[in-house]
Amino acid sequence: MTTREELFNIAENWFQEQEWKPFKFQKDTWKAFLQGKNGLLNAPTGSGKTYALWFPIVLNYIKKNPNYKTKHTKGLKAIWITPLRALSQEIKLSAERVTVDLGTQMTVGIRSGDTTTNERSQQKKQMPDLLITTPESLQLLLATKGYDKIFKDCSAIVVDEWHEILGTKRGVQMELALSRIKTISKELRIWGISATIGNLEQARDVLLGQESGALKNSVLIKANINKKITVKSIIPKKMEAFPWRGHLGLHLLEEVIPIINNSKTTLLFTNTRSQCEIWFQKILEKHPEYAGEMAMHHGSINKETRVWVENAIRNEKLKAVVCTSSLDLGVDFAPVETVIQIGGPKGVARFLQRAGRSGHRPGKESVIYFLPTHAIELIEASALQKAVKQNTVEDRLPYLNSYDVLLQYLTTLAISDGFYPNEIYQEIKQTFCYQTLTENRWQWLLNFLVMGSQSLQSYDEYKKVEVEDDGKFIVNNRGVAMRHRFQIGTIVGDVNLAVKYQKGGYIGSIEEFFISKLNRGDVFTFAGRNLEFIRIKEMTVQVKNSIKKTNKISSWMGSRLTLSAQMSELLRNELYSSSEPKENQSIEIRSLAPLFERQRRESMVPKPSEFLIETFKTRDGYHHIFYPFEGRFVHEAMGSLLGYRISLLSPITFSLAFNDYGFELLSDQAIDIQQVLDNNLFSTEYLLDDLQKSLNSTEMARRKFRDVAIISGMVFTGYPKKGIKMKHLQSSSQLLFDVFRDYEPDNLLFQQAFTETFEHQLETGRLRLSLERIATQEMVWKECEKATPFSFPLITDRMSREKLSSEKLADRIKKMAALLMKK
Amino acid sequence: MTHPIQLHGQSFQMHFSGALFWIEKSLLLISDVHLGKVSHFRKYGAAVPQAAVQKNFEMMDTSVDFFKPKTIVFMGDLFHSSLNNEWVLFEEWVRSKSVEIILVRGNHDIISPLKYEGLGVKVIQELILDSFLLTHHPEERDGLFNFSGHIHPAIRLSGLGRQSVRFPCFYKTDNQMILPAFGNFTGSHTLEPCTGCEVFAVLVDAVVPVPIKEVKKKRFNQK
Repeated sequence: MTTREELFNIAENWFQEQEWKPFKFQKDTWKAFLQGKNGLLNAPTGSGKTYALWFPIVLNYIKKNPNYKTKHTKGLKAIWITPLRALSQEIKLSAERVTVDLGTQMTVGIRSGDTTTNERSQQKKQMPDLLITTPESLQLLLATKGYDKIFKDCSAIVVDEWHEILGTKRGVQMELALSRIKTISKELRIWGISATIGNLEQARDVLLGQESGALKNSVLIKANINKKITVKSIIPKKMEAFPWRGHLGLHLLEEVIPIINNSKTTLLFTNTRSQCEIWFQKILEKHPEYAGEMAMHHGSINKETRVWVENAIRNEKLKAVVCTSSLDLGVDFAPVETVIQIGGPKGVARFLQRAGRSGHRPGKESVIYFLPTHAIELIEASALQKAVKQNTVEDRLPYLNSYDVLLQYLTTLAISDGFYPNEIYQEIKQTFCYQTLTENRWQWLLNFLVMGSQSLQSYDEYKKVEVEDDGKFIVNNRGVAMRHRFQIGTIVGDVNLAVKYQKGGYIGSIEEFFISKLNRGDVFTFAGRNLEFIRIKEMTVQVKNSIKKTNKISSWMGSRLTLSAQMSELLRNELYSSSEPKENQSIEIRSLAPLFERQRRESMVPKPSEFLIETFKTRDGYHHIFYPFEGRFVHEAMGSLLGYRISLLSPITFSLAFNDYGFELLSDQAIDIQQVLDNNLFSTEYLLDDLQKSLNSTEMARRKFRDVAIISGMVFTGYPKKGIKMKHLQSSSQLLFDVFRDYEPDNLLFQQAFTETFEHQLETGRLRLSLERIATQEMVWKECEKATPFSFPLITDRMSREKLSSEKLADRIKKMAALLMKK
Repeated sequence: MTHPIQLHGQSFQMHFSGALFWIEKSLLLISDVHLGKVSHFRKYGAAVPQAAVQKNFEMMDTSVDFFKPKTIVFMGDLFHSSLNNEWVLFEEWVRSKSVEIILVRGNHDIISPLKYEGLGVKVIQELILDSFLLTHHPEERDGLFNFSGHIHPAIRLSGLGRQSVRFPCFYKTDNQMILPAFGNFTGSHTLEPCTGCEVFAVLVDAVVPVPIKEVKKKRFNQK
């Protein structure tokens, strides 16, 4: 038996050989791990967090196998979970450095969507000692027959970038997998690694399980690495010519050129993949001298290209890389000196993380430039500066009672070894997500798995999970098992199609919604190339290279982001500062003087005690604009609520638009705002009830239901990469939503769509606080001549509008027509 | 409930169920019912509410009771997939009706014609009656007016205040009429209006002609 000092010596010697010194947080983590504790390590990327955990894992093996240098004890010892499979290679290298340098014979393997079938079956025969994998691939292991033997001697599961996984359904998936493996492997330690978020303590609760013994035996270790971050806003030289709307930011393209030139490597972060494509394209167009020195990196580009880009950054071959969140995490890029954020990052944590990509060495300063895409975003830039100074970081809200993920998980267990409900119920009751799951609900879920309903129907042929005589729930049908394996996962996007050259050669993947707009012969830009669309064949988009110019740039829907409560408050304060003396204003606010002046002329700039409502008419109809400055999600809720309440006064139809500053109710008739104020329509009374009813008249819950339907296995998406179609089983979740609404409105999965809209989309709690704040403000109604600077980004939003109506359909269509486009 | 239309000197009624009635021939046209789809999904482990199965039969009853036709022509895609227990319900339904039933075969109709013939339902590829051609897929043939299905047509209406709504529809051009999908679990495909076409929206309880407005091209707002 090796003592702890001896083990520590092995580690510290290794550090000395590298001429490094272990940080305190690293040693604290080693100690806690070797004491058998679980924990959460709060450390940023590039801080040496991987060594904080790989070392004790290997040391623990050494401790148990004193003759580790000559004899290899096979079998899985530890699992490292990463949210992005692109990071696995990097993690593997750091693990191998430890295992090899310490003279062990331990093996390190990767298992993810990119792993070949051959490798997988090799692994099945003999697992590597250390396995690097994703939450989805871990679920797939639980779908393997005899999985308990795989995990039996596993001593640790490390969940890297836990803050990224936590607030998503992948987090729930992790909670469930851990609840199972905890039972199987007796010596398991669970560790999470998280960047700084507002709710670190809760992050630990969720990882380890609310009421579990694991939580009691755990620690929270903070790296406390203070990094100096400098934020600089790029301010347009001529504010008069700077646009009031837009999300691309190309007006300031020339401003980034000197920044790129003055720095070894610059990362340009964009918010969407399409924005990334456009920036890459435009920089090259204007500055062809960068050809060969500039690259693009986003999640839909094929793996080889991405890996090439990552290596090229490391080898200092690139001046600039235009990227998306795909480069947010992991991967140590020492040469990156400067980061440019294009457009609002919508979150302080994300902004800090991106800033941290530069000066990626302990002690070095991080520099990040903020490039606004329209004038009002400069207010956001100013707020961000404050946020960074005050270290205001958001919470990541974990999911509760996600029935869809639970059903998927139970089916997963049923296709491998089957499960006994009593045992599993005890396990999941210990998780954070399902701590309040009642036995009644549990029984409902079991019925649903077996019968597809709550009672046996005549003529019904529902087939999924069966119950054996001894009470074991199991899937015997191979088709059911196969389809389920394809479906495992909780990241739901549009249907993805592979983009390939006609002669072969995978370029990347693209959402069906974009391709569906193209005709044969159309040229579009994707992954930095101009491609001609030939046809869609078996879930593959066939293309060929084209020299034709095009303005069609591939786009992805992606998810919308919102400002946090803290950021919203900072934003309001920045806005209010525009009425203060110049010396109290930030440079961004000062530069916006012409815009504020125009806003004052057309309408007004509200003070802290005022709530601004603007109305005006354009040829689109009657615009009614409200400015709570509370972030997009709160505005979605408040807009629906207010729209619904107004629609009760008299029959009316609205088209709603939202952004982080306010919301718009657009109609073909004018609303009497005085009536809105007299009737106290901003009241918090009957809030939930009214909100629920407004949800029924909008599409929000319908969109959430799509995810729920796919995750719970009610909608098949096929398996695009493998070219497997299940067309006869595909239905739109829209259709399914209608059927549930008409025939099974009390179905828990249908209900879940509404609950999630409340909790995750609309942030009902924040809505109430906002309404209470607004109640203390004076309402100021401005009847304007024309669109104001503040209103501009809202009224020009054509894409993401919501609908709400209390008019009879027959009355509505009298005022409408089908549009025939003249050629 | 219904909307009348004259074609080649013959009188027709469009019904809110999606059925089309030919008055002179007492012939009811129904397209794309996709019976068995709910059961098919359930059989493969997708728990679509079972209660939805009855709806198609109820709607078929409603339209048959309303027009009391001598003949019913199903315009294809009567059954979504292979045989399942909904066939038993269909058998019962056919036996309860004393009318001639014809199936113009669609791409989804893979159940053996022998099964249909056993029920007294005739299965054919297409049907020509006077100057009318009945097919599943839309077709153009000289001198004939074509009734078809397959497309599941829908139309989008727009109005002031960025309003828009979408309805299943009867879609008529000079020599063709495409019927909406009759089945309740079927989805639809939005068609653009074309010059000279007529479109009739199918609402919950009515069929309404859709005004078609010619516009230059999509408007974009500028500052």
